[in-house]
Amino acid sequence: MSKRQLAMVMDLNKCLGCHTCTVACKRLWTRDEAMEYMWWNTVNTMPGKGTPRDWEEMGGGFKDGKPQLGHLPSREEFGDAWKYNHEEVFSGGKAGAHLEIQGKKPEWGPNWDEDQGAGEYPNSYFFYLPRICNHCSSPACVAACPRKAIEKREDGIVVINEDRCRGYRFCMEACPYKKIYFNPDKGVSQKCIFCFPRVEQGVSNACARQCPGRIRFVGYLDDENSAVHKLVKKWKVAVRLHPEYGTKPNVYYVPPTSPMKFDADGHLDEKNPRIPEDYLKFLFGEEGLEAKRIIDKEMATVRNGGKSEILSVLIAYKWSEMFGGFDTDPATIEWTEV
Amino acid sequence: MRANYVANADDKKILDPYAALWNSAQAETIAMEGTPAAMQPTAAIRASWSDKPIGAVNKVSVKAIHNGKSMAFRLEWDAPRQNDSHGDNTVFPDGAAISFPLKPGASAMGMGTPDLPIGVWKWQADAAEEGKQIYAEGMGTSEVVDRGALKVKSEWKDGRWTVVILRDLQVIQDNAAVQFLTDQDAQFALAVWDGGSNERGGIKAFSGQQWLNLTLAARA
Ligand code: SF4
Ligand code: SF4
Repeated sequence: MSKRQLAMVMDLNKCLGCHTCTVACKRLWTRDEAMEYMWWNTVNTMPGKGTPRDWEEMGGGFKDGKPQLGHLPSREEFGDAWKYNHEEVFSGGKAGAHLEIQGKKPEWGPNWDEDQGAGEYPNSYFFYLPRICNHCSSPACVAACPRKAIEKREDGIVVINEDRCRGYRFCMEACPYKKIYFNPDKGVSQKCIFCFPRVEQGVSNACARQCPGRIRFVGYLDDENSAVHKLVKKWKVAVRLHPEYGTKPNVYYVPPTSPMKFDADGHLDEKNPRIPEDYLKFLFGEEGLEAKRIIDKEMATVRNGGKSEILSVLIAYKWSEMFGGFDTDPATIEWTEV
Repeated sequence: MRANYVANADDKKILDPYAALWNSAQAETIAMEGTPAAMQPTAAIRASWSDKPIGAVNKVSVKAIHNGKSMAFRLEWDAPRQNDSHGDNTVFPDGAAISFPLKPGASAMGMGTPDLPIGVWKWQADAAEEGKQIYAEGMGTSEVVDRGALKVKSEWKDGRWTVVILRDLQVIQDNAAVQFLTDQDAQFALAVWDGGSNERGGIKAFSGQQWLNLTLAARA
């Protein structure tokens, strides 16, 4: 057990699906060769098959407290890295050349079902679900590794020690969130490091700092002044994704609220939200429905002219207060490249 | 089994898996068995492999020779599929290893103990010309001690892998690597991984609980 636990809260009511987080992460951590297909941060449109495709059916995690190995996701299931004719377009000197995918036409990608969603017009619905490694309190990846190559640090961040890793990928089978990638060049598994080199300098994660939607809160769960503590522990409006997987994730989500449905006569059906409760329950369990009830109530209060501290924090009027003290400006730090 | 002395054969010649000098070496067929699922180091692996077959390769033909300077093993086994890469990340490269007790009394099962460590010569098909010398004192503890000392040549032909691994009889890292003396006995064990069956790490075929005996011929 780690001494403390860093956590992230993502408010799904605010995510724009803009992928600034994804790109911020990519620029920082996965620019090397053989990492092209890695997206330590993904944002998928829900309901959808996600990344890797159908990851929610791949198994892993814990069943009745017992660790399980699930499916080992392939590059293709992750969406792979499509190859383009960049050379030709940017330096080929040929008029009219345009970007085209090279080789076999891909049948899947890291955000393939972005425009899909679910439901029938006028009751169609969707929302975005950003995901990173959850830096779980019962990390299935750690439990599965025969080499003790994965470590839960004292701040709760879960990291893979690439010197110890031999690329056996039991962790990839074990992680029920399928947030580990294999680097074939280095022969090691790699994943989100919760930006620990930044966090150690008091700088919040790149995905969180760059997020234009201000959906991501960061901090120590036991820091009573932090937004993550308030949202998760005090107000219980942020909950775990698929708590039944048994790994006790430390990324928490404020479940998406949604407008009412239209009934057959075109009238608003006040009883039924567009995002079916069954689906929210599938994702976030009973706690998810409870969290949504609290949010709905707070929203009603504000609508009626009242005040809501919970909503004020979620709206994030004060950007720097989202980061639980990890609000140092990275521009003020001298970084060394290794 | 016996490692004959082959005079006038340099390392380069010995490394050729099909060199004529190997014809005169005595071949021993070693029966291989899968490592027991119950012995795997983590509960997740134990649970997942308890109902799956382990150890796809059931026999290995082994020959050994020395030229007074180097010790060489030649392993050969049936491998209908050649797995020489990580494919789409869901397969593993084939591999083979020869392990040696580094102290008398070390067990051929498991990966040694802190008091009774073992040394391993490991080959993997994705780095077909590279051998890794490994030191281990328990499951999950193996450390690569040397990437340069071993010389390796491997070839997959007609559904069979043939791998020759060679090293100087004596090396400087006296504690972390096996030492051979001519006209003496040595002990070894074998392991083979069928990467196409997702064999890697402790999921492998091995030559059993007992060390295999090897007598190095005297220099003529
Ligand atoms: S999300 Fe997966 S990789 Fe990350 S800590 Fe949890 S089990 Fe490990
Ligand atoms: S940067 Fe923020 S708003 Fe944009 S996709 Fe990522 S989490 Fe959503």
